[in-house]
Amino acid sequence: MTKREYIRSVLSIFAKSPFRPLHVHATKGGDAVRKLNEELSAYFACDMPTVLRLNNDVDTLEHEADIIKQTIRAELSSSIMLPVHADDLLNFLKPQDSICDECQDAAYWLTLRDCHVPKELEDGFRELMSRTLATVEMYELLVDTLSELLESSFGKKDVEETLELVSKVEEMEHQVDLMEKQLMKTIFEKEELLDGGGVYFFVELTKNIGRIADRTESAADRLRTMVLRR
Amino acid sequence: MDIFNPFVIALLAAALYMAWNIGANDLANAMGTSVGSGALSLKQVILVAAVFEFCGAIFFGKRVVSTIANGIVPLDNITMIDSHLVIVGMLAAILAAGFWVTLTTFYNLPVSTTHSIVGAVLGFGLVSAYHGIIPYSDIHWSVLIKIIASWLISPLLGALFAYILFMLVSHFILHRTNDTFAIEKKFIILQTMTACYMAFAHGSNDVANSIGPLYAGLNVLGLDSAQIPTWVMVIGGFGMVLGLATWGYKVIQTIGTKITELTPTRGFCAEFATASVVVLHSYSSLPISTTHTLVGSVIGVGLAGGLAAVDLSVIGKIALSWIITVPVAALTSALIFTGLMGIGI
Repeated sequence: MTKREYIRSVLSIFAKSPFRPLHVHATKGGDAVRKLNEELSAYFACDMPTVLRLNNDVDTLEHEADIIKQTIRAELSSSIMLPVHADDLLNFLKPQDSICDECQDAAYWLTLRDCHVPKELEDGFRELMSRTLATVEMYELLVDTLSELLESSFGKKDVEETLELVSKVEEMEHQVDLMEKQLMKTIFEKEELLDGGGVYFFVELTKNIGRIADRTESAADRLRTMVLRR
Repeated sequence: MDIFNPFVIALLAAALYMAWNIGANDLANAMGTSVGSGALSLKQVILVAAVFEFCGAIFFGKRVVSTIANGIVPLDNITMIDSHLVIVGMLAAILAAGFWVTLTTFYNLPVSTTHSIVGAVLGFGLVSAYHGIIPYSDIHWSVLIKIIASWLISPLLGALFAYILFMLVSHFILHRTNDTFAIEKKFIILQTMTACYMAFAHGSNDVANSIGPLYAGLNVLGLDSAQIPTWVMVIGGFGMVLGLATWGYKVIQTIGTKITELTPTRGFCAEFATASVVVLHSYSSLPISTTHTLVGSVIGVGLAGGLAAVDLSVIGKIALSWIITVPVAALTSALIFTGLMGIGI
């Protein structure tokens, strides 16, 4: 209310849609995981300057995602009416935001240890990372369907389409889980190639990447609740 | 009737100013939703509004004009005692309503021109009763209660109607298509029709806000006619269209660029519901606020799940403006009347 214009309008009835920033927020998560994927490759190539640079990029993305999250929360006052429950929306925003957080942790973790990696572990990590990335990218597709849901005002077909993608994300996360367990096993099998610090480093890295997929699955699950509990 | 009578000129000028205001803001709001969804260009909207606003005012506006002119305060009774009082009183009423509307517009408060004029006319009735010209019981309280009840009912009706409409549209059309984009495109044509309907509805109800007191005043000044002459209605229509063309286009642009959520299907439902409720009230001779009804209709579409985000805090502001507007307009009108009489006019 800085400039007084001679205008009386109905505009104040239309609030800002939280769904667009929500979509941008999901993309930040996807971008962060893509950066992490690159960072992991750089780590295996022992290109530490790139690892550090990409770690900074992930930090930036995480910070941007935080700001979007805060804006969404701040603008969702109690007088705003949405086609879904506001609580559900906020409940789904939380795990979506954690995707970035977990990604940030993993990206930082990679900068902590020198890049001595037994060849036997490299393939496993590449596989784990690429499956996690695929899960997150499937999740991005899922969030894309939200705009169609809004356009058709939650038409049956569109809801089904969305729910199908939720199941896909869950299935892919399950695969990541299996992969994670397998990789942990491999790490201890190759124990003699690593020192104690090394074992700890790789076990934590495995868990950390696994958590990215976990949070993605959790966000997808909450998204389903939001769509169904309308 | 002597057109060069200073009272005639003053009444005409005040009524034109009021009509200009209504066109610049209320009509612009009613039409803005069509521009927002891309159904019509700005030029088209002004053209459509001009034609249909005129039609609504001239062919369907007389009932509400009679309510404002004679339905709330028995001006005929006052005329029999002292006709001069009515002329000054109506001038005071338009000036008071115009002043309040101007003030609140600067502060972007959702005040209704209808509420203002009803309050202002009531103010004149009360001051007449205060001076013992008519007994308080002569004021048509039952009509006033009906009018005030309609202010509460009209947004609710708009919400209900828009809710049902959007439910039907989403159930029978949106949920049964794979191509919402094509559906939205088809609704653009429908929305062009509702824009005409909206302008017609607005003209039929809101023309009275400027023309009601003007007609009452002119009647006393020897406008020798039992029926409301068409040329008086034309003045109202002209003033509103002038307001839209000289100022309202800015309001339309502001609304049009900011309402992106209101796609043609949603806009159609909100507009159709609003226009129907307003026309219904015009038919029942009840002056209501088009803008408040539109707000109700938008909420209705939102309740039906048609909008991404609706800010309900505007309801509180509207409720507050209801409570404030009538007493303030009545008081201002009474003060202006007393002032004008006091300086010997």
